[in-house]
Amino acid sequence: MQPVAGEPLLAVDHVTKRYGKVVALDDISFNITDGITGILGENGAGKSTIIKILLGLLRPTSGTARVLGTIAADSVLVRGRVGYMPEHDCLPGQVSAAEFLTHMAEVSGLPPDMARTRAADTLRHVGLFEERYRAIGGYSTGMKQRVKLCQALVHDPAFVFLDEPTAGLDPTGREEMLALIRKTHREFGISVLFSSHLMADVERTCDRIIVLRAGRLEHAGEVAQFTKETDTVFIEVDTNREQLVAALERRGVIVTADGGGLTVQGSDQSVYDLVRDALVEAEAPLRRIAPRRRELNELFERGAA
Amino acid sequence: MFKNGLRIALGLGRGGKAKVLPFAFITVLAVIGLIMALIAGAVNRYVGEVIADQLNLPSHSDYNGIASIIMFVFAAVVGPELLCRDRRDRVINLYLVRPLTGSDYIACRWASFLTVMTAAAWLPQLILFIGLSMSAPVPAEYLKLHWLDVPRFLGAGFAMAAYATTLALLTASFTSRRAYASVFLVGLFLISTPFTVGLASQIGGAAGQWISMFNLTNIPVHVNDVIFGEVSEITKAAPAAELAASVRVGWWFAWTIIPATILWARYRRLTP
Repeated sequence: MQPVAGEPLLAVDHVTKRYGKVVALDDISFNITDGITGILGENGAGKSTIIKILLGLLRPTSGTARVLGTIAADSVLVRGRVGYMPEHDCLPGQVSAAEFLTHMAEVSGLPPDMARTRAADTLRHVGLFEERYRAIGGYSTGMKQRVKLCQALVHDPAFVFLDEPTAGLDPTGREEMLALIRKTHREFGISVLFSSHLMADVERTCDRIIVLRAGRLEHAGEVAQFTKETDTVFIEVDTNREQLVAALERRGVIVTADGGGLTVQGSDQSVYDLVRDALVEAEAPLRRIAPRRRELNELFERGAA
Repeated sequence: MFKNGLRIALGLGRGGKAKVLPFAFITVLAVIGLIMALIAGAVNRYVGEVIADQLNLPSHSDYNGIASIIMFVFAAVVGPELLCRDRRDRVINLYLVRPLTGSDYIACRWASFLTVMTAAAWLPQLILFIGLSMSAPVPAEYLKLHWLDVPRFLGAGFAMAAYATTLALLTASFTSRRAYASVFLVGLFLISTPFTVGLASQIGGAAGQWISMFNLTNIPVHVNDVIFGEVSEITKAAPAAELAASVRVGWWFAWTIIPATILWARYRRLTP
């Protein structure tokens, strides 16, 4: 069961999932090809349900979900070509990482010798090679999270589902995990579906995003398309912000507060000239000026509105 | 999965403590077989075969009766480890997203523990058989006369292993704590004996025989008696021993097949 060139790795076609009267997914359709895709949504948006349907653990009420061209619920064999990293703890404390990963690779269908080699390779990939014979129970949270990633990769899947992979990690651990996810795609060529509620993680890691809200598909597309430059300029100053706003308004520039900075309408050269003059007049020390990019959380704000 | 089940049951690939219990039980069972072989051998050698026969020394048939309670405690203490820890650590969620169904998982776990239990049941019998053969004045003659004991003890050992394995894993399927399952099982085996013995002797008759059938430690020993064609020391006093062989074997089937079906039903549709 290999991915076919040109065919989507995951194809979700008009999938609806109901639990009694509760609609968990409502007529969702999207395709995922190569790369890293983020699936964003609040709790209860349907992220876990769609992942379970794609893993073949749930059958949709209507519609079809294909993984590598196969309806996952019809054959468990397709699960040998996908990996899954759950959000919650799921590791045995008593055994070593090497033993556990070898076993997991064998369960996925790898012969014993290859399973041992793959276990060592994936542990090296996540930086745990030196620690491979220690019992997992003695690992830190970050190390356990990396073992969880390893077990999803150990059988060399074509596609991997990561459910909140940065949950419970400190900022350094988060950075390392995101770097590992990028490296996994770059070096192993494994495509990733990455579920998260942390937009910054998705924005920095993913090529594409899927946004779910209350079981409906809100957006699907390239991250770059969502975060492209807008027709506004973002300015941040150290002091004299009010004076700067007044100076800009006197010059007829439309200005709005934007977090700790200001957003100015327009992005052509004349606007930059007006901003320069206003900064001089207000004696405001400039910290940052740049074309403003949209942020992913605006998608949610817009949807909520 | 099967290989992993064997490793868990024997504590292999885990710390030293995990190996203590399974190997302690297997050693105790083997030592019982060895002591029986040594006694039988010594008596044969020093008092002669004719007197030895009259002394009614422990035989292959008696071994299962003597060792049954140790086998049950072994199953109760070690068996739940195969299922409880997977659920407590939630490793089962990782199995169920691999090319494996809940039925595959439970079948592999059952088969692996059954293998360990069967080996634990057969090893001492094998020691006893070798001991008895070696201590006979003419070992070849002994083998010629007693070769049927081999399939008998293999069958009886399997009956005991299948019964104990199934009950142990069924109990374990209801809890994620091994200790709870172990205490419940040991309690069940220990309580059912005095309770049924007392009640059966009070009531007597056919009802007493059926009450005696609920002595859980005796169920596979009755099968052992049927296979060897003689009543062992343990079941000699049980009113159930007077019931027809087909009833006693059918009862063992019921106590093995029904729990196995419930166990399978509990895991069949399991999802993470």
